[in-house]
Amino acid sequence: MKKWLAISMSTMLLGSALAGCSSGNEKTAGKETGGTKDEKVEVTLAGWGGNPTEQKLLQQTLDEFQKKYPNIKVKYEVISDQYMDVIKTRLVGGEGPDVFYLDAFEAPALMKTGALESLDQYVTDDFDINDFEKPLLDAFKGEDGKIYGFPKDYSTLALFYNKKMFQEAGVEVPKTWDELREVAKKLTKGTQVYGFGVAPELARLYYIAESKGGKVVTDNKASFADPKVVEALQPIVDMRVKDKSAAQPNEVGANWGGEMFGQGKAAMVIEGNWAIPFLKDTFPNLEYGTAEVPTIDGKKATMAYTVAYVMNKNSKKKEAAWKLLSFLTGKEGMKIWTSKGLALPTRKSVAAELGFDKDPLRAPIVAGASYATVWQNGTNLPIITNNFNNQFVSAFLGQRPLADALKEAQETANKEIEGNK
Amino acid sequence: MRKKAWREAGTGYFLLSPTLFVLLLFIIGPILFAIFLAFHKVQLLGTTTFEFVGFDNFKRIAGDLRAKIALWNTVKYVVIVVPCQTMLALVLAATLNAGLKGQTFFRIVYFLPTLTSSAVLTLIFMWMYNQNGLINHLLQAVGLPTYNWLGDPKVALNAIMVMNIWSTAPFFMVIYLAALQDIPDSLYEAAELDGANAIQKFWYVTVPYLRPVTSFVVIMGLIGTFQLFDQSYIFSAGSGGPNNSTLTVVLLIYQYAFKTLGTMGYAAALAFALAIIILIATLLQRKFSKEESLY
Repeated sequence: MKKWLAISMSTMLLGSALAGCSSGNEKTAGKETGGTKDEKVEVTLAGWGGNPTEQKLLQQTLDEFQKKYPNIKVKYEVISDQYMDVIKTRLVGGEGPDVFYLDAFEAPALMKTGALESLDQYVTDDFDINDFEKPLLDAFKGEDGKIYGFPKDYSTLALFYNKKMFQEAGVEVPKTWDELREVAKKLTKGTQVYGFGVAPELARLYYIAESKGGKVVTDNKASFADPKVVEALQPIVDMRVKDKSAAQPNEVGANWGGEMFGQGKAAMVIEGNWAIPFLKDTFPNLEYGTAEVPTIDGKKATMAYTVAYVMNKNSKKKEAAWKLLSFLTGKEGMKIWTSKGLALPTRKSVAAELGFDKDPLRAPIVAGASYATVWQNGTNLPIITNNFNNQFVSAFLGQRPLADALKEAQETANKEIEGNK
Repeated sequence: MRKKAWREAGTGYFLLSPTLFVLLLFIIGPILFAIFLAFHKVQLLGTTTFEFVGFDNFKRIAGDLRAKIALWNTVKYVVIVVPCQTMLALVLAATLNAGLKGQTFFRIVYFLPTLTSSAVLTLIFMWMYNQNGLINHLLQAVGLPTYNWLGDPKVALNAIMVMNIWSTAPFFMVIYLAALQDIPDSLYEAAELDGANAIQKFWYVTVPYLRPVTSFVVIMGLIGTFQLFDQSYIFSAGSGGPNNSTLTVVLLIYQYAFKTLGTMGYAAALAFALAIIILIATLLQRKFSKEESLY
């Protein structure tokens, strides 16, 4: 008797469950065809995580978006390590997120593959495309002239200096690289404090490398062994090897320039906007100032780094994805995202409204935007950068002449580029 | 009769089928696909294309400077690490089998590094090698100059070698310990009667008796070291730097497969070449150790 009861019970349960399923299916199907307003769509957004404050700001922006479009749910995924590897693999596997971050540096190669959705067709007058800083927007234009992403924020480089050390040494903030070199000598105290902390990588040295008229990349190939590039980079190496007034972060046990600067092991570093919140959180008592990057031969130069939101071409919810993308890069969303100054707005109207050009620490970074070189140059820049970084370090440590190191790096890079064709 | 044999074989294969299916799907299939990839130029992202290029990918290895550096680094690593860890494992095992007081305790202590994940070990060692790390503090305490262990291309690979010998040797030590239990006491007694001292006993009884095990340990060591990846990946944050000094073959394969677009085929060719190199090294090892002559 009991057995029968159990069986009939379970049959009933199963039956009702099945019924529930089928009725559910019918409903959604009906909605899809009918296209009624309360259809709930889930859009995935992928990015690398930031610090907790950044995460909170992004969540705030997303909450605002979901309030405005209650039928779109945003699923935010954090890829904290090896971001590009994960994104590429997921795109290949057809499991890519609908909307994701893309660094300008990686953009040309990805745009060329056709894995991204071109966004021109979605843009309306309301979105006001001319409001973006042009060089930053151009970074996400493909070879075909179409736009594949809208920059969400950017930063340029500026000189960070330790006010206390400058006072003790009785020196002024350098305005030119020659001054910087002299000042660095005076600020150095053996191996305890270095005058200048250097990140020996192309991303941070590109504008210096091209300051004497040489080109790092020509026709999508490495050309940094050019004597003009070597001449431009030589002073950095000399500061480390001859003056002993410069060092890279790992020589003092730091992971990056901001940390080296915060620990008081470098009196000057050249970093971006990202260092300001870091220094505030980690080294709140540090007294420092920022200035525009010193000039080379009287010319101002710096780098600009930007990241865009792009859309996956294989996304099945393009309409909702565009709504999210246009909100995040639109005036409203960008204002929330950049309100704390963790990132700088790429829209002129938002920048004017938030007024970071009047913030004493951020003014030099904002000022750099007008003359900065965007960190991007063709599809092969990742290969070129990898080879440059690998060899430049040995020259920087004084193990071999700079010209030799760069020549070898250039040959290796070009061989690799040739092989990839 | 024949029919019966067929039927029996059929039943056998039927029972084997789940295992065979898994083997085909996860081992033999991927191997065949990797070989297929090695002969093609593969573009996976966007529009997927496979273009047959014959031996081009293999020809490219010959002209690739980074592949040569990677191979050289890997060979250097194998040649130093395998003998060191084998000898260390043997000595540790012999010592801990000599009947010392508290040897079980020491066996556990020595085995601990093997239980830790290699990624965690690498991170701990990176802290120790750091400019403000333990090693430099110790050097300073004794009045020796400190050193930038991680940043200097000349020592970066050696730093990984030291770590790997330290963490892998105990694993092989356990294998040796097991084998040592098999050596009959009578052999040692006979050696003692002949007037052999402790070192002679070790050299003329223990070592020859352990030869097949040594052969196993060396082969496993060869395979493991040729595949060095995680340590150098973590050390260099995936770049193989500084100055390509920690670039290993597997790290290079990873870079071509996942970092640069459209070089999956070349990565597969490199992987194939590495498999052949490991095969040759193993065959050479077998030839030199003359394992068969013992039986």
